[in-house]
Amino acid sequence: MTRKLGYARERLVRSVETILAVLIIIGVVAFIYDVMAGSRGLDIGYISANWLRYVRAVEINLSVTTISFVLGMGIGFLVGWIRTVRAPPIQKILQDFRQAEKQGRARGKPALVATLIASGLRHYVKRVADAYVEAIRGTPLFVQIIFAYTVITVSYPRLPGVEFFAGVVALTINTGGYQGEIYRAGLQTVHTGQVEAARAIGLSRWGAMRFVVLPQALRLVIPPLTNEYIGLLKASALLYYISLLEITFLSKQENYLGHPFESFALITGIFLLITVTLSRLIQYFEVKYRIPGLGIQAAPG
Amino acid sequence: MIRTEGIHKFFGALHVLRGITLEVARGDVLVIIGPSGSGKSTFLRCINLLVRPDEGRVFIDGVQVNRPEISPEWVREQVGMVFQSFNLFTHLTALQNVTLAPIRVKKLSKDKAEAKARELLARVGLAEKAEAYPAQLSGGQQQRVAIARALAMDPKAMLFDEPTSALDPEYIREVLDVMTNLARDGMTMIVVTHEMGFASSVASRIVFMDAGLILEEGPPAEIFEHPRNERTRAFVSKILR
Repeated sequence: MTRKLGYARERLVRSVETILAVLIIIGVVAFIYDVMAGSRGLDIGYISANWLRYVRAVEINLSVTTISFVLGMGIGFLVGWIRTVRAPPIQKILQDFRQAEKQGRARGKPALVATLIASGLRHYVKRVADAYVEAIRGTPLFVQIIFAYTVITVSYPRLPGVEFFAGVVALTINTGGYQGEIYRAGLQTVHTGQVEAARAIGLSRWGAMRFVVLPQALRLVIPPLTNEYIGLLKASALLYYISLLEITFLSKQENYLGHPFESFALITGIFLLITVTLSRLIQYFEVKYRIPGLGIQAAPG
Repeated sequence: MIRTEGIHKFFGALHVLRGITLEVARGDVLVIIGPSGSGKSTFLRCINLLVRPDEGRVFIDGVQVNRPEISPEWVREQVGMVFQSFNLFTHLTALQNVTLAPIRVKKLSKDKAEAKARELLARVGLAEKAEAYPAQLSGGQQQRVAIARALAMDPKAMLFDEPTSALDPEYIREVLDVMTNLARDGMTMIVVTHEMGFASSVASRIVFMDAGLILEEGPPAEIFEHPRNERTRAFVSKILR
């Protein structure tokens, strides 16, 4: 009982600490802007009159990011899974076949052709997945955004909401590649013995994936996925370049209208509020779903 | 109960099993010994089809099981397996490890599966550890949970792949005791092990394997005291010393 109360108290202290930390950060940022703004000072009147517009604008960032992130999860998981599949190159299969022929245990040409097609397909699908991940990770996101926008506007010049659509496409493709790597690492970290044991007690291939590998892999990918989401949210600010009316776009406009410091104070504050809250939330889940007794754990308190 | 005929297995160019023919009668305990790399583990995995034999036939209760029309999942329900490295599911409690397959494969109700799992955990002496996670258990306790997990599917036979070689010496006894009791209760078992005390007191027969072949087969007393094959003699003298 006292233990439970202790946890509740600890949680309360922690959330108070979090809120305090966010307030302090916002305060410091506001102070810095205040200093930079010099004798002019921060126009608090402008902030209190306009903050809601900024919140509306950031809702666009949040929705582009969230839609892309969820779509990217599908792509990412598929890509990550494909990249863990073993696919021996054709030469190796042929070599094994010749060996088998020599030892007089070859299973005949039809079987060979079937194996060749199956593993050839696997091999090339895997190559495509590899190329996708490398292309995404090897080029700037900014270029990918402009590329997606250009391709879409050239093909469909009259598409309504093209900025939003292009933004989602660019971010989805981008996060798909990065998430692919996250899932690949997560899946590969689960020991093969776990799958063998699952199969040995009668689970199917899919059952082993669902009840044994995924529950363990998902726990491993929660922290990197959170980072990915936060990174994507920050990256969504780049979409101002393709005229998406998101928060950076708004703030640039307000700059020209003579409120540069106020608008930057707002944008920083809002982003910090979202990202810090999010990472704290995920930390909570991480602790909640941690496997007892496994790995290095932070000492309580 | 379990019969194999001329099992061959290749890993690429490596000829791991070179024609293994064996028969284990109901209630028998067969112990396989042999140097590492001799194909013992691969042979065990051929029986429950974790590894598919390239040639030869595997029979369980007179049914040839390495045929395309027989699902490997069915075979694995008939034959339980215990691994050298336990391989308990790290994200599940001891109880959940034992109930997973009965619930998901046999579609047993949760209550029934749990009641049975608690019974099995009690049988391996771990009734009070039902809620513990694998990482909170000692090696010996983990291996005993793994045995309970395999028994939960009501297998007709059990395969043990060096069940005590990953254990600290102090925990070996408790696992062997569980296995001995299992054998006394009439379970058909194939055990790969180097625990000679266990082999000589529990085994009905011992098989010596080397380089993918069975070199000698017989009752424990004969294999340990009067091995006929030269390599058996060399191996036995090394592990009995």
